[in-house]
Amino acid sequence: MSLLDDPQGALDDLTRPEGWVLGVSVTFLLFLLVALLTGALGPTYFLFLVGLAGMYALLSLGLNAQWGFTGLINFSVAAFFGIGAYGSALMTASGSPIAGGFNPLVGLVVALVVAFVLALLIGIPTLRLRADYLAIASLGLAEVVRLVVLNERWLTNGSAGLRGIPGFFAGWPVLSTFPEAMPGLRVEVIPGSPVILETAFWQASLNVLLVLAFAGAAYFVLRRAHRSPWGRVLRTIRSDEDLARALGKNTYSFKMQSFVIGSLIMALAGVFYTHLNLYVGPGDLDPITTFYAWVAVILGGSGSNRGALFGGIVIVTIREGTRFLNDVALPIDPAPLRLLLIGVVIVAVMRYRPQGILPPQRELIWPSAVDRGGTPETPDTGVREQKGGGDDE
Amino acid sequence: MTVLGYLANGLVFSSIIVLGSIGLSLVYSIADFANFAHGDTMTIGAYTSLVTFGAVGGLGGAVLGLPYGFFVALVAGIAAAAIVAVGTEKLIYEPLDVDSIGLLITSIGIAFIYRAVIQIRFGSDFTRFDLQPLRPIESLVPYGVRITLHDLAIVASAVVLVVGLHVLLQYTDLGRKMRAMADNPDLARVSGIRTKRVKLWTWVIGAGLAGAGGVFLGLFNQLSPRMGFNLLLVIFAAVILGGIGSVYGAMAGGFLIGMINQLTPFFSTVVEALPIWPGWLATALENLITIEYANAIAFLIMVAVLLVRPNGIAGEGAT
Amino acid sequence: MSEGALPKDDVVLRVDDLQKSFGGLAATDHASFAVERGTITGLIGPNGAGKSTLFNLISGFYEPDGGTVEVNGTDVTGMEPYQVAEHGLIRTFQTPRKLEGMTVREAMLIGPRQQPGESFLRLFASPGSVGESEAANLAEAERILAEFEIDHLATQPATDISGGQMKLVELARAMLAEPEILLLDEPVAGVNPTLAKKLKDQIRRLNEQGTTFLLIEHDMEFVMDLADPIVVLDQGHVLTEGTPEGVRNDDRVIDAYLGGGT
Repeated sequence: MSLLDDPQGALDDLTRPEGWVLGVSVTFLLFLLVALLTGALGPTYFLFLVGLAGMYALLSLGLNAQWGFTGLINFSVAAFFGIGAYGSALMTASGSPIAGGFNPLVGLVVALVVAFVLALLIGIPTLRLRADYLAIASLGLAEVVRLVVLNERWLTNGSAGLRGIPGFFAGWPVLSTFPEAMPGLRVEVIPGSPVILETAFWQASLNVLLVLAFAGAAYFVLRRAHRSPWGRVLRTIRSDEDLARALGKNTYSFKMQSFVIGSLIMALAGVFYTHLNLYVGPGDLDPITTFYAWVAVILGGSGSNRGALFGGIVIVTIREGTRFLNDVALPIDPAPLRLLLIGVVIVAVMRYRPQGILPPQRELIWPSAVDRGGTPETPDTGVREQKGGGDDE
Repeated sequence: MTVLGYLANGLVFSSIIVLGSIGLSLVYSIADFANFAHGDTMTIGAYTSLVTFGAVGGLGGAVLGLPYGFFVALVAGIAAAAIVAVGTEKLIYEPLDVDSIGLLITSIGIAFIYRAVIQIRFGSDFTRFDLQPLRPIESLVPYGVRITLHDLAIVASAVVLVVGLHVLLQYTDLGRKMRAMADNPDLARVSGIRTKRVKLWTWVIGAGLAGAGGVFLGLFNQLSPRMGFNLLLVIFAAVILGGIGSVYGAMAGGFLIGMINQLTPFFSTVVEALPIWPGWLATALENLITIEYANAIAFLIMVAVLLVRPNGIAGEGAT
Repeated sequence: MSEGALPKDDVVLRVDDLQKSFGGLAATDHASFAVERGTITGLIGPNGAGKSTLFNLISGFYEPDGGTVEVNGTDVTGMEPYQVAEHGLIRTFQTPRKLEGMTVREAMLIGPRQQPGESFLRLFASPGSVGESEAANLAEAERILAEFEIDHLATQPATDISGGQMKLVELARAMLAEPEILLLDEPVAGVNPTLAKKLKDQIRRLNEQGTTFLLIEHDMEFVMDLADPIVVLDQGHVLTEGTPEGVRNDDRVIDAYLGGGT
């Protein structure tokens, strides 16, 4: 059932938190729209924010595939993000000490391959461990990765980082010259406060397009996987791994698959970041990135893909909101304020809503099976039943 | 530096790690979760003593190059860490309705809150205690040992605290109950131990020792809001090496990890000197066993221990 | 592989000289017995006799210190639990954990082995085949739920149903895995008499349809009524085995239960 076919019905179907999130999101969007139109929020900066939100959403989707689906406590998100960023930067940057100058598509592939290898290297030893040991071990191994990136100057340029990174669409037909080719536009919706769209704006829109493509693909893959028998094994592992083993599931292999897929999506976020920021440094592997992703996932609801998308937006609000506060109102260093907000959000969620704001609501059975093999012989279908074939998770 | 010099440095650093690892291990077994806020509890101790020392001043005399006022500040640091930890337990952890993994995640939030508050108040820069920097002890320099009286004070204080803990664990009623609970919480509960009270004392002792460790870490290096979090994984490595739940294991693990950490440059000289490696391996090892990777080596040891002997090097084999 | 005294077809599970000790204490002490095809074999013994340990050894959750386990003539000693399951040995647990966020029929659908949709690549390469097998499994799950007379629970959250109902669902789910032999760990512990009776009837019915059972149960009345033969375990080794009457009248068994055991 889609929002367009039956808006009233779709609204009635929402649970309370869903309605709440929808309300807040709409208000927030309206607020941004007003800010945009009055010129308070530059359109290029706005698109940058959308890009960042997409990036955090990607990270959260990746973590959701590990923690939300399978219950793997991966504290090495930052390592995969960083490896994705460095992998593509080392291939494409003019300042790269080893390669450089390749097409960003080559960078993308290399980044994913390197992330795949790293996922195996970290996963093979740690995925047999108890959940809390996995947390500690993965945080430790992420730190090892960060130290290697920081210290192996011949490979990574060390603390100087990598500069001279092209945009993702460099070398593509049409798209590579698209931002320059577009004329500057002057839009004046509200008299007296014109909004000017220039090359930087078009560049930023391309970035948004890119992150939407990445996040959309990841979302599509994960949503299908989540409601498949494959996802069901992962969810069983999360609740009761021994049960899955007793029923003939090779849980180690399933955990590895979920770990690798999540890690690749995180690396994708890193690739995007490289071409958004045009500079990467060892600071990008700071563990804080890991915990940004964690906040997004537990806030959105573990196991919930749309929750992860929502969480991504919240993270950008925390990140950029503290910067804004610092500029406008409170002269507090934004860094500790962010840390404080993240800490408070984690504690508050665990205290008041450990399942997150948007936990998965629907029964997760392969959609065509429910339609076809349905349950005509069981008339007393409940709410969950009706939502079984719905088009949202 | 000579071997003796590295060993001496290792001893000082180990003292700090031991103080941190005992508390982490106790809380891990008795409160039943991996407390990621433990490192930041150390930071709280350090900054409290910084402020206290600034307020009370030297107070006249001095022991081991440290004015009396510093020891007042040390006690304040220990007390602050213990009070904050107990307050957190009462206000946050205890009312939570989540499993040990939920507590682990919560403790990360707590760690960030601690660090953020300190950083908002003191900024993110490094600071030092307002103490005259000391020269290495003259009589030891000929042996290649360059440690100051302050370093000696760290080791001596740590020994006093550890011996005190040992006496508490072995000869008091509370100590016996704590050991029983660390050993087997369920059994302790059914055998009538008031586990809540023991748990509270665990937080007091664990966090207090961490606070002391934080003060000494500030004295050994510098203070910064990240000092504790940066050390957390090294302490985890020590706890896991010693076997979670074993206080004496944590001491041994802390000692080993601290030593390995400070001896890293020495190992690299050993690799260089020994002709047993093929050329490429020697080069690789020389590049990897460096001071930059001292922590990384501890983490790799930790992962290896988790894989091979999840109950620690002294504990029984895997179950 | 199968050169035992009995022809292969008659024995589904053979446990030979199995040993396991924890911290120097023998939990399983040279235990040997066999489960013949088509039986409901009961495994009883006083608390601490090592019944659960034995189950864990047979199903691959523990690795034995010595001895062998054969399923259908194949040596499965030292295999991972999932591999043992692939050889047709399925087990249940005494205290199942909650399956958060699943409905009963979702929980049922974990049962079938080797589902095409458990391959990640196939979800995208041939979604059609995934859908077909899922539909077939769903229909089968609902058929079995109906046979168990619990089809009204199908779309209930699995966390909301009673413990006894969950035991029924577990038994039903295990049947979806098409076991050659099903190990039940205390199927009626904490289950009310009505549901216990229902469970008993179902086990008997499934047995008549060809499933072999090995079950641990503390409820003597239940096990004596249902199982034949009965294997008595005491202090990790097999004390005796035989018919319910024989076991009931065996002095050694009475001694073991009374804590004598010498």
